[in-house]
Amino acid sequence: MNHKIDDIALHGALSANVVGFCRLLRAQRSGVALGEEQDALRALAAIDLSDPEDFRLSLRTVLAKTPAEQKLFDALFDVYWSVWDRAGELGQPQPESSASEKDSASRPGKNGLTSVRDWLKQGEPTEEEREAAGYSPIEVHTKRDFKDFNAEELEEIGRLLQAVARALATRFSRRYRPARPPGRLDLRRTLRASLRRGGELLDLSYCRRTRQKPKLVLLCDVSKSMDLYSRFLIQFMYAFQNAYRRIETFVFATSLHHVAPLLRGNDLSAGLDAIAAQVPDWSGGTRIGAALDTFLSEHADLVDHQTALLIVSDGWDTGDIEILEESMRALQRRSRCLIWLNPLLGSPDYRPATRGMQAALPYIDLFAPAHNIDSLKALVGYLMTLRGATAAQYLRRRPEPPAPTKAHPAAPTRDDWFRRFGVQP
Amino acid sequence: MLAEHGYVADRQVVMSVYLAQTLERPLLIEGPAGVGKTEVAKVVARALDTELIRLQCYEGLDAHAALYEWNYQRQLLHIKLDEKSQRPLAEREADLFSEDFLLKRPLLQAITQPVPPVLLIDELDRADEEFESFLLEVLSDWQITIPEIGTIRAAARPHVILTSNRTRELSDAVRRRCFYLWIDYPEFDKEVEIVRRKVNGIDIQLAEQICRFMEKIRMQRLEKVPGVAETLDWAKALVALHQHHLDLEVVADTLGIVFKDQRDVAQVKQSLAEFLEGLGVRAKLAPER
Repeated sequence: MNHKIDDIALHGALSANVVGFCRLLRAQRSGVALGEEQDALRALAAIDLSDPEDFRLSLRTVLAKTPAEQKLFDALFDVYWSVWDRAGELGQPQPESSASEKDSASRPGKNGLTSVRDWLKQGEPTEEEREAAGYSPIEVHTKRDFKDFNAEELEEIGRLLQAVARALATRFSRRYRPARPPGRLDLRRTLRASLRRGGELLDLSYCRRTRQKPKLVLLCDVSKSMDLYSRFLIQFMYAFQNAYRRIETFVFATSLHHVAPLLRGNDLSAGLDAIAAQVPDWSGGTRIGAALDTFLSEHADLVDHQTALLIVSDGWDTGDIEILEESMRALQRRSRCLIWLNPLLGSPDYRPATRGMQAALPYIDLFAPAHNIDSLKALVGYLMTLRGATAAQYLRRRPEPPAPTKAHPAAPTRDDWFRRFGVQP
Repeated sequence: MLAEHGYVADRQVVMSVYLAQTLERPLLIEGPAGVGKTEVAKVVARALDTELIRLQCYEGLDAHAALYEWNYQRQLLHIKLDEKSQRPLAEREADLFSEDFLLKRPLLQAITQPVPPVLLIDELDRADEEFESFLLEVLSDWQITIPEIGTIRAAARPHVILTSNRTRELSDAVRRRCFYLWIDYPEFDKEVEIVRRKVNGIDIQLAEQICRFMEKIRMQRLEKVPGVAETLDWAKALVALHQHHLDLEVVADTLGIVFKDQRDVAQVKQSLAEFLEGLGVRAKLAPER
């Protein structure tokens, strides 16, 4: 990389390439999430782009977060970014190059995106790389998400779901148990102990809150529009059911079915057979509103202020929207928190524009994607960050984080840092 | 500036520190023991001319030990002393829950500083996962609620540096929130530089020999691989012994400084002569004293 990227107009193309690079890393199982992508873009705004080494080290700081990821980063960085240098070497004419683009051909940033893509196409067209370069998410996701999960992956899903359940479900009860300091002062026991010494408070007893596990209710959409995701959904339900005991699982398409008893036990295929026999409208039409309404009238006692409610659906509702809205309102009021996982949310182009989704949105505490392991990981990560006394409460009343502090009056610049660490800039 | 801080860094260190400061993100530093992870935080504090607040993690560390505790004993004493007082009850009670009786632990300390300090959370891998998630909460909200006093919001966000020796994997959530810096054992040239900077009056030849020795010894299977700290201790000891180069006798006598495990000392001692020969030390046997 011996060229200069000094044109502000090129930033757009650069950003696209950074995003592409993040995807490449992700495809290689490096844990680069959306947050990292944003960090990378912010970091690039903070550095001098004309210095290739700064560029590399900054991305490395932001994107590679374990030694293994750093190794991967180092390996891929050259491969990916040297494309700019190589594009000239290959001497491939750009198929869609117009006159104006030819003018800027000497400026690598602008046509960087196309050349990267081209190069990826020419190189080894492995599936990962195709995903890294591709920008049509639906197509890609169908390939990646729903292949058969192997045992290891299943185990990982189970672990992740357990973490989801834990984050959602753990909460402190109002009871206390004795504990060692530090903790809360146990006045009752302290006073009682003091009686032996004529009322002098000498020995202090401490106590701590015990934890309680509330319930979880899972409502899965198995209508036609969710067909693509059904394999994942089944795994999801099954893993969840076995990771977390206090869960009730329902599936719905045009009507609602309680499947928790069928999924209990260790044999997935037996469970599937049972479900197939019991749920005639699998892959049928969708009437979310009606299904939720049935749920409310028949199983409302399952939902109380301790219950976290998880709905997995793409929000395509062919039924009565008013019923949907009414049910959502009631469910949100009754439950501890209402989470809507939408597999479509995994694709960047998706907007929750369907009428059903629009009606449901105001009553959702957390709207998140769930279409593959990575998105589950992200969900766990998010819930973990919320987890204090209880994640669910935070979802409802999330305190505004304080405004970012103003830059230190004399915030050291990059060069200052170099000077302070005694490194030649 | 450079001699003042006495830290030999490479570009990766500087860039990571710079980005973490500029984008106001915590910096997670990992690497083997004794490579100067904690040192980075100290240098940053000095460079920013601000206080360094350190939270040393250990197994069983919990929120109270990191945030605040009431000094119950002192409160009780205060009640006793105040028994005969005529002052109104409300006033006395307010006294009891004033900051005088609050034991501020590092996290609360860091938040209440008017000038953002450097908050070093050292060896986070030693604390348990519970604590990790608690920490995440504090790091994202920057506010702490003390029921008796109220919610304390950070006056200014501290500069956070976390270190880990990788005795266990930190949770993904922590990693994702932080910027990341891996510090490895220094390369030969860099270590020589460090020794020369940190050890006054050391012979360049001796420094190079020491570092060559360390470079090679780290490749062996050892119980405890010596870090830069050991290199420096050894160099200082050899300077104090008025050595100008390594020789078999002196190395054998001072092995205890480099290796902190008896098995390592025994193992190295056994093959020391060959090992030093491999470094070309034999040719420069100590002159007759």
